[in-house]
Amino acid sequence: MENPPIMTNAIAIKGTREGLTITLGSGELGAILDDLARHLETQGAFFRGGNVALQTDELVLAQEDLSRIADLLGRHQMVLRTVVTPNEEMRQVADALGLRVLSPEAAEPQPAPRPQAPVAAPSAARLVDNTRASLIHQIVRSGQVIRGTGHVVVIGDVNPGGEVVAGGDVVVWGRLRGIVHAGAVGSNAAMVCALDFAPMQLRIGEYVARPADNEKRKVTYPEVATVRDGIIVVEPWTGGARGKRAP
Amino acid sequence: MTRVITITSGKGGVGKTTTTANLGTALAKLGKRVVVIDTDIGLRNLDVVMGLQNRIIYDVVDLVEGRCRLRQALIRDRTLDELYLLPAAQSRDKSAVSPADMMRVIAQLRGDCDVVLIDSPAGIEAGFRNAVAPADEFVLVTTPDVSAVQDVDRVLGILEAEGRGETRLVINRIRPELVRRSEMMGPDEILDRLNVRLLGLVPDNEDVLVSNSKGTPIANDARSLAGRAYHNMARRLMGEDVSYLPVLVRRKSIWERIGLWKRSARSGAGG
Repeated sequence: MENPPIMTNAIAIKGTREGLTITLGSGELGAILDDLARHLETQGAFFRGGNVALQTDELVLAQEDLSRIADLLGRHQMVLRTVVTPNEEMRQVADALGLRVLSPEAAEPQPAPRPQAPVAAPSAARLVDNTRASLIHQIVRSGQVIRGTGHVVVIGDVNPGGEVVAGGDVVVWGRLRGIVHAGAVGSNAAMVCALDFAPMQLRIGEYVARPADNEKRKVTYPEVATVRDGIIVVEPWTGGARGKRAP
Repeated sequence: MTRVITITSGKGGVGKTTTTANLGTALAKLGKRVVVIDTDIGLRNLDVVMGLQNRIIYDVVDLVEGRCRLRQALIRDRTLDELYLLPAAQSRDKSAVSPADMMRVIAQLRGDCDVVLIDSPAGIEAGFRNAVAPADEFVLVTTPDVSAVQDVDRVLGILEAEGRGETRLVINRIRPELVRRSEMMGPDEILDRLNVRLLGLVPDNEDVLVSNSKGTPIANDARSLAGRAYHNMARRLMGEDVSYLPVLVRRKSIWERIGLWKRSARSGAGG
């Protein structure tokens, strides 16, 4: 299904065997989005149900703007799956939203086995990116959600009402008071550790734990949580590679 | 240069309006020209706390919709010549003004006064957006309740994510006995969690409630502890280094001391 490319100065839309590639040009973001919305309005039915790869070249989008594009595509029943960018900052933004990230070289010659891969959930192994970690240098405040497909390291506190969701491990160099979900794609081998470990709720893979209702903590050392024999176990961090076991 | 400061909290009922009225009063007493604005459209209160409710002719919605000029909508305080109120409309709702409308109103005030204090409604929706849009800096109000602290944390997160101006915290209604017995979060614990600069501490005090219902902000009463707390906050806002009132170390009254002595005597006799 090679569609004739649609070109304007702001965007280019190209149909490929895997789905749709939308290339964002340079210029003011508002204008680009308007242009995209107009194309989807007129030709949306044609592209419906497809997976979309967004090629951003040197353009760096804020996380809200990328979500807006994903929402816009969603309204036309398209799913934003991939962001193709050479820019490291843009990679992190896309990664935080749980999107696949490709560099332009990798994106080009991709032999797709079938047109339009089925929308079934990819296996956990493919979604967890154990080679990548996001470093979050901030307080995760109430209402904020940090997402990463790989490991997530927070330098700062995770306050009550804040949330960290990671495909891999979660490390909090600070006080953990919010909600953490490590191994969020079903990896029970993930671990969570914090200097001051007092999460509101803790999830590792498919397991959920919360502190006892009447727990009075007087702990002053770092702790680590892992799944062992079907339950989440929290124990003092004593150094070494403790807690991390083979999946 | 005019400073535009929005007073907000996330949670309702923690004392945003009381803080606005009292900071406004205290700043005016320092000789500043102050305009306080109520953005809680549909649930206006600031006029009542300042005792100006019977003088309202035009409100902020009239101003935005062009039925009056700015000068006509501003109401001068009963006692302070340099303190003005721009009241909210009572018969409309938050959708009657937009953030852009608020920016235009504030633009008219810039240069004409020293400080603009904007009293935000509770929540983080449209009304909050209106109040926050034109501000240069923010005063966040919380009580020692965990829920109020968590809501301020949420608001701080929003303001930080948008890269807005400086934020400072007022901790309202502190109950020293409860903090001492560690049954309530103390100021240190709250500041530690929120990682924000402290503007002031206000003890829980009946006088504040009484003066609110009389329509005379407690900051008019320099003898009360709460009144002094607001004066100190005003001076800190103006860049002065003022030490904090000892709200946590309350001296026991003679009656309490006798009471304690009696109680201990009785328990001694019983044991």
